[in-house]
Amino acid sequence: MRSEYLILLGLIIVFPLILSRDAKLGMYKHRGALWFAVIGMCIPFWLWDIVAAARGHWWFSGTYTIGAGWLGLPLEEWLFFPIVGFVSIFTWESTRYFWGRRKR
Amino acid sequence: MKEYTLVAMVSVLFVVLLDRLLRTRLTGRAEFWIFIGVMFGFKLVFNGYLTWRPIVLYGEQFFLNVRLGTIPLEDFLFGFSMITLTVVLWEYAKGRSFGDSHEGGGLHRQDGEIPE
Repeated sequence: MRSEYLILLGLIIVFPLILSRDAKLGMYKHRGALWFAVIGMCIPFWLWDIVAAARGHWWFSGTYTIGAGWLGLPLEEWLFFPIVGFVSIFTWESTRYFWGRRKR
Repeated sequence: MKEYTLVAMVSVLFVVLLDRLLRTRLTGRAEFWIFIGVMFGFKLVFNGYLTWRPIVLYGEQFFLNVRLGTIPLEDFLFGFSMITLTVVLWEYAKGRSFGDSHEGGGLHRQDGEIPE
């Protein structure tokens, strides 16, 4: 199924996106930092991905991607980094929250 | 040394160095390693699916071809760098209130630490 990678991305982001609204995490109190961190990670990793794919370190199945793409990477791969960046920050803040509670 | 293996190792070194340089020092904190453990748990599922299907395929000559299940060893270094870089930048920017809605938004400190 050509939408498999896209569906996988949806599964990665859906629960963090919903749960990140929880005020206890305070994620959206720092929107500037959120953008800074996600974009700051994406730029070097997009570059790494583009060069690695061009050199043949890895490539992507045409069977499981929708077919849109740019610079040798499918659209799904471009979306992968901001999504993982967001999920990383959400998971980090959740870990800090539960860690802080445990110690109190 | 295989190219992907080398680049992945250098990326880990670079991110750990950046963590020291920006004085975020996350790699020295217990909750950071718990966080990495949780993320690697997710990674086993999603990276596992990507490499099992396979949605992403790897050039034999560029990596060790040692795999945990279907996931190349190098992917764990790649993932570690990607995840760590994100939270290092996040902690750094949060401490400096980058673009926060309240006035200033400049360099004044606001630690945002959870009280312990």
